[in-house]
Amino acid sequence: MALAIDESVHGLPETTPIGHPLDWSWLRGTKAEWGMKPVPGRRGLTMMDIATGAYGEVLDEPPYRSMAPRGADIDEETPDMGYILNHKSQVWADNVIELYEEAVARQWSSTRDIPWNELQELPSDIEHAMCQLCTVLTEIEMIATDLPAKWMWRMNHHFLEAKMFLSTQIMDEARHSDVFRKRALANGGGLLLSRSADESLLRSILEAKTYTQASALLHLLGEGFILDVFRQGELIAPTHVEKKIFRLSMQDEARHVAYGTMHIRQAIAADPDVADEIHEALDHGEQFLIEFGTSPVLSSALAMLLGGGAEHVEDKGFPMQSLLATKIFTSYLARCERAGVNRIDRTDLPLDLLGINLDDFDRTGA
Amino acid sequence: MKENVNELTFYQELADLMNGHPDQYETLGEVDFTLGVVMANEDGEDLRLRLRFEELGCRDVSPLPEGGESSCDCWLEGDTESWGEMFDDITANGRATGRYTINSLTLVGDHIDVKGDDPMGVDRFFRFNQTIQQFFDGAAQLAPTPA
Repeated sequence: MALAIDESVHGLPETTPIGHPLDWSWLRGTKAEWGMKPVPGRRGLTMMDIATGAYGEVLDEPPYRSMAPRGADIDEETPDMGYILNHKSQVWADNVIELYEEAVARQWSSTRDIPWNELQELPSDIEHAMCQLCTVLTEIEMIATDLPAKWMWRMNHHFLEAKMFLSTQIMDEARHSDVFRKRALANGGGLLLSRSADESLLRSILEAKTYTQASALLHLLGEGFILDVFRQGELIAPTHVEKKIFRLSMQDEARHVAYGTMHIRQAIAADPDVADEIHEALDHGEQFLIEFGTSPVLSSALAMLLGGGAEHVEDKGFPMQSLLATKIFTSYLARCERAGVNRIDRTDLPLDLLGINLDDFDRTGA
Repeated sequence: MKENVNELTFYQELADLMNGHPDQYETLGEVDFTLGVVMANEDGEDLRLRLRFEELGCRDVSPLPEGGESSCDCWLEGDTESWGEMFDDITANGRATGRYTINSLTLVGDHIDVKGDDPMGVDRFFRFNQTIQQFFDGAAQLAPTPA
């Protein structure tokens, strides 16, 4: 429904008082619907509420490569911004709008929402182990800001909601780097060791050749792994302060994994050849992940925390770490299945050593 | 052990508590999550219920038929004794501590598991974990169960 200029407004000038030309054609509305008027729900007005009519139509191959907003009356001569990710399946996930709203609603502050003044003095070995874990986490979390940032400016603006979701991921990961840095320093400890194995994993993710490869490495492999590390962190947290840090971080990470799982699934559905590209990336990524997960620094710190201190590192810490490794890699393989990437028959992960029984494994990912 | 943890009314009381204090959940943000609870009793009278979380509240607590948990995003399955120990810890400490948080219980041991037909549904348990933990922690605020 267009607002008819000739019915409601008359006699508008053709130029500004100093002679510049004016364009009043916007008063006639656009090719898209005028008067959609989405109704806010109890939460307020969400992006799902306004994804109606032409505004909600996300095309597989948008006609423009500019920042012009989807649904507007776009100038045919709008400039090409040089985007290289111009097909929906290259960036989209059908849950991305929901995840964006969820991310916005569930933002938290490491300054305000963590009861820092309730931290307790811990035995020296436990404090050191917690600080070492936080050192690793504050180092690696920023990869999940750098990587989306590397690709976002190459994504067609038609896929606005995907870019908005990745913006929330960038904020989430900045907060994780922030909160673990704070925890390392807040209880009288400090930052401890940074070792090269961690950097190798990060570099392999950053250097991925395509965004979909990068997403597989980051969202499916890396963040899936870190989600489980956060679950372990919540388990071994010495006080409710650390438990809350890990739980809130876990929530954020699970959103990122949910996006990646669905994105990879849709990318493969649109182009089955993409699966080979993803397998190739994961072949390398899994090796780096094993190197990272078994690094002498990270594994010893986790074992110390799982054992409840130096005294029980061997009889409790390492056995529990082994048990949890089974869960971590089972979860990873299940997510790959859900994403449409069959890693079970291809992976070089030492499944026997990890205690994963393929006969019991449900290929639906359950 | 709290004696009514295997009764639906107990979870309705937790829901009422949550619904009565949306301010306590506001900083955590809205939720869209359907969680099943399957509690195995020794006498074979298993409790199966559905907890529907929407926005800042728990909008529905209702019984599920056998197998009905599959209609949920995911479900928590364990024996009554383990659930009782979790709620005892919450009551004693004002919140779940140590290995009695719902994440920890589902991560180690085999007493309470998080299960689902779809990993995306199971991941919702992690996406809304702080809210779910706070919901269960509400048990500390309910009137003590007579011995």
